[in-house]
Amino acid sequence: MRINAKDLASGLLLVVLSIIGLWLNTEHTLGSARRMGPGYMPMLVFWLEFGLGAIVLVISLFSGADPLEKWTKVDFVTLALAIAATLVAYPLLAAVPALSGNWYALGLALVIGLGVLAVSPGWRKLALILAGMTVFGILLDQGGLFLAIAAMVVVAALAEPEHRPIGVLGTVIFLIVLCWWVFIHELDIRVSVWPNF
Amino acid sequence: MELLFSNLAHGFGVALSFDNLLFALLGALIGTAIGVLPGIGPVATISLLLPITFGQPATTAIIMLAGIYYGAQYGGSTTAILLNLPGEVSAVVTTLEGYKMARNGRAGAALAIAALGSFFAGSVATILVAASGPLLTEVALSFGPADYFSLMLLGLVISSVLAQGSVVKSVGMVVLGVALGLVGTDVQTGQQRFTFGIPELSDGLNFAAMAMGVFGIAEIILNLERPEVRSVLSAKVGSLFLTKEEWKRATPSVLRGTILGSALGILPGGGASLASFGSYMMERKMARGKAEFGSGAIEGVAGPEAANNAAAQTSFIPLLTLGIPSNAVMALMVGALIIQGIQPGPRMVESQPDLFWGLICSMWIGNLMLLVINLPMIGMWVKLLQVPYKYMYPAILTFCAIGVYSINNNVFDVYQTVFFAVLGYVFAKIKMEPAPLLVGFVLGPMMEEHLRRAMLLSRGDPMVFVERPISGVLLAISALALGLMLLPGLRKKKEAAMAG
Repeated sequence: MRINAKDLASGLLLVVLSIIGLWLNTEHTLGSARRMGPGYMPMLVFWLEFGLGAIVLVISLFSGADPLEKWTKVDFVTLALAIAATLVAYPLLAAVPALSGNWYALGLALVIGLGVLAVSPGWRKLALILAGMTVFGILLDQGGLFLAIAAMVVVAALAEPEHRPIGVLGTVIFLIVLCWWVFIHELDIRVSVWPNF
Repeated sequence: MELLFSNLAHGFGVALSFDNLLFALLGALIGTAIGVLPGIGPVATISLLLPITFGQPATTAIIMLAGIYYGAQYGGSTTAILLNLPGEVSAVVTTLEGYKMARNGRAGAALAIAALGSFFAGSVATILVAASGPLLTEVALSFGPADYFSLMLLGLVISSVLAQGSVVKSVGMVVLGVALGLVGTDVQTGQQRFTFGIPELSDGLNFAAMAMGVFGIAEIILNLERPEVRSVLSAKVGSLFLTKEEWKRATPSVLRGTILGSALGILPGGGASLASFGSYMMERKMARGKAEFGSGAIEGVAGPEAANNAAAQTSFIPLLTLGIPSNAVMALMVGALIIQGIQPGPRMVESQPDLFWGLICSMWIGNLMLLVINLPMIGMWVKLLQVPYKYMYPAILTFCAIGVYSINNNVFDVYQTVFFAVLGYVFAKIKMEPAPLLVGFVLGPMMEEHLRRAMLLSRGDPMVFVERPISGVLLAISALALGLMLLPGLRKKKEAAMAG
């Protein structure tokens, strides 16, 4: 019996998600087959998903080896720490009145978590790209479009070791000009361009 | 017939307006560019340009997005032939014979037949869309809620059966997509479902954030993790003219590819990549013993290239006539239409004649443009490949971030994209095909509505789905399709076809 780890993980993912869904769905009225309430379709969908997940799980036990990529010890530790950091930071930050609006607490908590994740080389590219995007979200409203783009590109550029400072600077300038032309000049989206501290 | 001509005349009137011509050209150019570039495909591009189209009229927006899809089919063949590098999935088989032709010094001929075959196939498929649209619409108008539900179910089943990889897993992805579509306000009771009290979620998860996260951002991360493949143009393009012998061999292949591609495009779950694989298999069978397959047979370029372009066009038929997306790109089109306030469905041909006929005519015009864009300007497109990925990905990221923000002017959507990027990354690592997820997400809410209406009409009797003839037949086909795929023999054949 050779276990297909990728299928095993897929099956587990489907089963876990469907159980969460079924649990969350208990707060919705089911109704009858004739007059379906808000909870009827979710019930059908999540039971179906549960069944499919179970089938994938069973098949995975016999469908031959297909291992997942090897995780180092650092990968495990940083992932656990990152999740923990995000979950701890979010309620703490949300309690600060200055950070309550505009999802600042969520953004900052994500950046902290992704920062921890970036410590391990295995997660670095994932963490830095996503951190770049999150930084963009945090800076956009107060810092303006240009600063947000610059910060995002710099953080995301760290994900690729081949980047040199001068190239990153060029990319930042090019993208700011391009985005100004496309989004502000042509499409006129409602967003401030310069910082308004 | 007369009506068809007057409709087409109307469509050309719409398509030839300055704005629509400009955006058809823009779509074709962007499509060619991303077709040439590996690492970014039409799904990611269309989802990242989706927000930009909101300000435009619906017709112009759809014309541009459509141009990207079929433009990518042209562009994908260029690098496949010259560099043995498929820019798109649908161009993978083109590398098999096309690159060999280039090594034999016939690169020009391969590029020419790919472009001409695509143009011919695109023209035929356009006529097919125009002719079948009103016909199918008539049929669809007699559909009740039960029939609609079964039709969508068939769409979901076939799109997961034909997806790459394990059937059960892709059905699981479809269902997961339907589940994600449940988030938001329940249409009939107004109750909030799975929103966790977050007001931003009361309209449901953001479709563009999902598409960009799962396809755009996750792809960037995966591309960065793979070492960059540098390729150099080794072959000379040479003469673009075909010899008499080549014409004689390629013409029947183009015809066969057009027919096969058109048919596979209409099929739910079909589309360009399936069509090109199918056509290559067919050409190899037909030419057994005659042609030098595997060492640069022109049939193996002409057939698949015609087929993938035909399929890219005809896959609009189920969308425009029934409102059912047949693949991930069409799911994005549904998203674009809904955001524009247009509910895709059989009434679209009558209520949106500008959109329907304008799009059809612009497809033909766009194909003509692509012929011009591609053949004389090949050198320029190949130069695009010299842009290193390290400069491309910050641009993609920036466009995603600004685009997704501009939909609702809300940073919550940016964080949603981050969440979906993680999900997309996980899916890639455990080999779950994300395309069915999008189709399920789009079809889910519509299915729920039809299911509830049908069950209300039948007083809670589920037999209505079997007893109504249209619905019964559709369900039978779904069951058959699922059953056939569980047979080991057929499954192996599919895997062989997908592997090229």
